[in-house]
Amino acid sequence: MPFTDIAVAIQISLTYFTIIYLTGIGGLFSERSGIVNIGLEGLMIIGTVTGAFGARFFTDTLGLGQPWGPILGLLFGALCGLLFAGIHAVATISFRVDHIVSGVVINLVAIGLARFLSQAFFGQATQSDPGGPHLAILNIPLLSSLPSGLGRAFQELSPIVIVAALMVFPVWYVLNRLRWGLRLRSCGENPEATRSLGVSVPLYRYQGVLLSGAFAGMSGAFLASEVIGNWREGQTLGLGFISLAALILSNWNPVRLMFFAWLFGFAVAIPLRLNDAPVISLLPDQFIRMIPYVVTIVAIAGFVGRVRPPAAAGKAYEGGGGT
Amino acid sequence: MATEGMAAPARLARARPAWLEGFLGQLIALLASLGIALLLGSLLIVAYGESPVAVYSAILKGSLGSADGIGYTLSIATPLIFSALAVAVCFKGGLFNIGVEGQYLVAMVTAAWAALTFDALPGPLLVFVVLLFAMLGGMVWAAIPGILKVKTGAHEVVTTIMLNGIAVSLLAWAINFPLKFTNAPPGQNVDLRTDLFSDKALIGDIGHYFGVTPGAHLSWLLFLAIAAAIVVWFLLRRTRLGYEARAVGSSPGSAKAGGVSIGATQLRLFLISGALAGLVGMQEILADKGYLGQNYVATLGFTGIAVAFLGQNNPIGIVFAAILWGVLSRGEVTLQIQTEVPREFIIILQGILILSVVITYQIAKRRLAARQLQRAGAAGELEDSAAPDESSGPRGPETAGSDAFEPADEGGR
Repeated sequence: MPFTDIAVAIQISLTYFTIIYLTGIGGLFSERSGIVNIGLEGLMIIGTVTGAFGARFFTDTLGLGQPWGPILGLLFGALCGLLFAGIHAVATISFRVDHIVSGVVINLVAIGLARFLSQAFFGQATQSDPGGPHLAILNIPLLSSLPSGLGRAFQELSPIVIVAALMVFPVWYVLNRLRWGLRLRSCGENPEATRSLGVSVPLYRYQGVLLSGAFAGMSGAFLASEVIGNWREGQTLGLGFISLAALILSNWNPVRLMFFAWLFGFAVAIPLRLNDAPVISLLPDQFIRMIPYVVTIVAIAGFVGRVRPPAAAGKAYEGGGGT
Repeated sequence: MATEGMAAPARLARARPAWLEGFLGQLIALLASLGIALLLGSLLIVAYGESPVAVYSAILKGSLGSADGIGYTLSIATPLIFSALAVAVCFKGGLFNIGVEGQYLVAMVTAAWAALTFDALPGPLLVFVVLLFAMLGGMVWAAIPGILKVKTGAHEVVTTIMLNGIAVSLLAWAINFPLKFTNAPPGQNVDLRTDLFSDKALIGDIGHYFGVTPGAHLSWLLFLAIAAAIVVWFLLRRTRLGYEARAVGSSPGSAKAGGVSIGATQLRLFLISGALAGLVGMQEILADKGYLGQNYVATLGFTGIAVAFLGQNNPIGIVFAAILWGVLSRGEVTLQIQTEVPREFIIILQGILILSVVITYQIAKRRLAARQLQRAGAAGELEDSAAPDESSGPRGPETAGSDAFEPADEGGR
């Protein structure tokens, strides 16, 4: 049944949509505040190792069981991502280190720190035991009973997938209607003018960067605990950078980001499920695995001229530490 | 040197002190960040219940305490010099080549293909051809983000990262199909790899001249790496391209106004960077293994970024930074054997070191700029109000994008 294959591919794409979208929202908060964050991958890596540990710790060691153990595990991943993002915030905002340099360093340090933490958490440096606790999977009502096997696409999903998809409403509302969100955005567009209104630009930028750590960390925790079932070194597979690409293509807009996150999520799902579909099956396995990366490059090269990043993103702001 | 004259006249009077000040500032920043890293590392060691002195001396003894140790340290440093130079060349032009990783993987494939295909060539010529193909492979892979950047504006950080992912699969495909071994000994399980290269394609061991064990695989490539550092230094400091690169890197607007083609400069930098990246994997396949196998050494490209930051993108600094990195990496072995501290401590120490280098260097750069601005203000060239107060650093617009790690550069010649 080809429909079943496609349906399963869609189901997988929804899972990867969740990862890319959550991380992308993180990048959105950071970049809208004016701080370019290419450390998303590193923040996710910290989320994977701490999230896998947190899920196990809260569920088994503390005996909280379902659903609080896995939920606290995800939040623990988010908290650790937030703390780790603090390095990027201090470096770029307080010390005015180049944003990309700092982001690269974040990614480098994350790989080492993840090993170190893994050794401390699990007694082994590169993975944890498989089959960690995760939230009960669910079928989406109505959609999961679609005919011709298509319903399969909406079965056996983690509840976090739904949470991520619904996240668009609060994020849009916060950024477009709340004073906090409007100020955050103005820090990214015109920090001097923002400062002249008595708003502390560094304060908002700190919040933006820390939020990006929380979202990317939660996304990493979701990947490790809910999708794979354990932490493994290198399991983020560049998804943080793919999120960044989706963010750029979305023109830093949370609604459009949904579409690109799903598109890239589907590209990631192709090698995982559609490798024996017509046409694709003619390619050697190794080439099929290139598809998500090729799609990302083509999309970035084709559309990057049409997007406009926040005007002040990437520039050091000299307004000092005060108001 | 027609280009020299462009920066020189206005600065002639103060050129030397600024140069010296820049150098001293750099040195102080480096020592300070080393001190911070060692101090934070000591706290961690104490937390493990060990003595910092014992741990640090175990690291030094393991890496520099014997001829063999030095040999291992230098052969770890060899590919990192190429890798960091590749990063630094792009960095001078304000470009972030995060794709050294993918570029050297592709280069290992093209070099392996050349080593197996041109087998009939006489020894030294074969080595030359193999190295040439390695550089070509790296250049092709680096040209892609270069062209995309110049033609479409696609940011090189995203494209190079994606190309790294593609390169991993490309290498896997190459050793699975076109280059898969044909001469495996029957009845034995051999890991997936290419055929063995003939001995004349390999790069000679130099360890035996110094009493280093052949196991360290210390080869002529070390000298090639040091030579590459000198060439890159010359290229960046003494040629037109180097001048244009630094102009594009520090101020694209004025570079363009000055008649520099930004796109052409960026593309050339990517090609040079790719050629250097191509040589990263040669230690692995020509000096160590003698074939390209599926268990190749990965992440040398990413480590190169760290080494480039540590060497502050100065070609000569990079050589020392790579050796320092080698000391730490080699010290991991003795650390494991002689102390209770886990080997992951090294990786944390390296991370702390990079972070503190990046931050202290930025502080030093700002201090320096502030002092120069103050002096200029005192000389009456600028209004007093422009002089900064110590706490907040210099005011005024500054694009952070490209000129980090580039202190007092105008006076640096």
